[in-house]
Amino acid sequence: MSPDAVSGLVGPGRVIGVRSALRRRRSRLGDQAYSALRWAGAGLFGAVVLGLLVGVGSDSSAALQHSGIGFVWSGTWNPAAGQYGAGILVVDTLLTTAVAMVLMVPIGLGTAVFLSELAPRWLSGPLSTLIGLLAAVPSIVVGLWGLLVLTPIFANQVEPFLASVPVVGWLFRGEAYGPSILLASVVLAVMTLPTMVSLSRTAFGGVPLADREAALALGATRWQVVRRAVFPAARAGVSAAVTLAVGRALGESIAVAMVIGNRPAIPESLTTPGATLGSAIVNQFAEASPGIGTSSVIALGAVLLLLTVAVNAGGQALLRSGAGARAHTAGALR
Amino acid sequence: MSVLLAPSRRELVRTAARRSLRRRRIVGTVVQGLCVVAVVAAVAPLVALVYYTVTRGASTLSWAFLSHAPTPPFIPGGGISTAITGTAEIVGLAIVLAIPISLLAALFLFERSGKLAAALRFSADVLTGVPSIIIGIFAYAVLVLPLHQFSTLAASFALAMLMLPIMIRADEEAMRTIALDLWEAGIALGARRGRVARSVVLRGALPDLVTGNLLAIARAAGETAPLLFTLATPLAAMTLLIYTDGTAAFPSAQRTAWATALVLLSFVLLLSVAARLVAWRISRRAH
Repeated sequence: MSPDAVSGLVGPGRVIGVRSALRRRRSRLGDQAYSALRWAGAGLFGAVVLGLLVGVGSDSSAALQHSGIGFVWSGTWNPAAGQYGAGILVVDTLLTTAVAMVLMVPIGLGTAVFLSELAPRWLSGPLSTLIGLLAAVPSIVVGLWGLLVLTPIFANQVEPFLASVPVVGWLFRGEAYGPSILLASVVLAVMTLPTMVSLSRTAFGGVPLADREAALALGATRWQVVRRAVFPAARAGVSAAVTLAVGRALGESIAVAMVIGNRPAIPESLTTPGATLGSAIVNQFAEASPGIGTSSVIALGAVLLLLTVAVNAGGQALLRSGAGARAHTAGALR
Repeated sequence: MSVLLAPSRRELVRTAARRSLRRRRIVGTVVQGLCVVAVVAAVAPLVALVYYTVTRGASTLSWAFLSHAPTPPFIPGGGISTAITGTAEIVGLAIVLAIPISLLAALFLFERSGKLAAALRFSADVLTGVPSIIIGIFAYAVLVLPLHQFSTLAASFALAMLMLPIMIRADEEAMRTIALDLWEAGIALGARRGRVARSVVLRGALPDLVTGNLLAIARAAGETAPLLFTLATPLAAMTLLIYTDGTAAFPSAQRTAWATALVLLSFVLLLSVAARLVAWRISRRAH
């Protein structure tokens, strides 16, 4: 705080007198105005959040009346026949997210370990800044790259190659189209990676140096230090990073719509096209017939909302129960 | 320990320790190698992504491209001026909506503790996790459907909703870096809360506030999904133009998409770099 800010409040000769009393009265008025404003800001925000929940809920009620609660798990999405069901879309959403996380988490963790524990400072500094900046790349740009650059590469090289690998190839069998669940997962992995790296690196950085030194003094190798001292202490931060990435992957719509092929059917393998909740909303919205059609698309949004909120709440609960308790005991032992 | 052991036992322990160390070192080296592989696997696609955007976008980019209005498909000479001004308008209006509300809500959180503040903080966290497409649907339901028309206002409303929770949490964090004693000192001097908020909290946290808000703006500026439901034409925003032209099957549209992506990427990265510079200047001044 600058000194003149203080002297402005309690200047000499300002304490007594009508003018100061008036000023105080005015400032009391100002104070009330400030308080009211603050309440208004908080109230407005609360109203917006409530409005969101109520709005999405009420607009999807028509669809639920039409299709019943079976909307959530029924597999058929066929607007022409008046059949609306989110089941396959939910499966594909979970599948793309799971595959994306399988790809992304080990790479993200390895990168974070390298940046925080192994790399020399001259390398880790610029590299961390670079990855942090890339977290700002808009998802539409990642989607464009996936669509125009990766799709042909996947159709001609990656997918035929994966299908030819023994045993694992079973996961990738069938014709290689390019747009597929696998490609969508790769795009999601690229999109969520920078945030994962930045947050995990921050979590590793928060582990006290003394923990590492103690492990080293006991004869641990560098990797053992990371595994036995750094990982347990950073567990909460890393799980938070993964939860965030899962939430973002579940909810991503545009980039996925560009590369998944948009075919709401049960996936036969990872190289077949699919459709997620988000990509279906993007594709169906414009062509949805007013009334039940629009309401059903909004209901897809409601299902997606429930899914992401559940994942977030689950992640938070996981943090509080497991990792939180462990961090607590570790703190007590320290 | 070795004193208690017979010489033969001692030898045994020593070889065991040596063997264990060798094994641990091998495992360590392998894992470190895997970490380097992970770094390459992480950086390569990200760099490739930026590389493709720059090389494919730059060939189309020109002053005329930026300043001319779009032309119908297959008619050359079109630009993206409407998309640039459209994005600027939408994001600008969203900023005007979001910053005052988020600042006041953050002050509320900063000065109050209790169930209401906790509930507000919780709803900010929930809203941060809500997919942007759902916010688009919401804006469509409350502003587009009742008024029977797509509008910039609805788009700005959606982006403001995206920015709000991020800004509120970042603002509160920034305010918390101002020591509570300073706030208490201000109150103890007899200053009104509003005055302390203005002269102590906001002024002290200003650089951090700027950083947090810039990052929130950068994120909202790159959003596409909310605009899909609120704007009448893809020509009214850069992200939408990238989507429609990128998914179009003819090369000229794809070239436009790449060039627009380059403009958008530069804009967003510029905001992000600016945010970092502000943060970096504070940390340097603090030392």
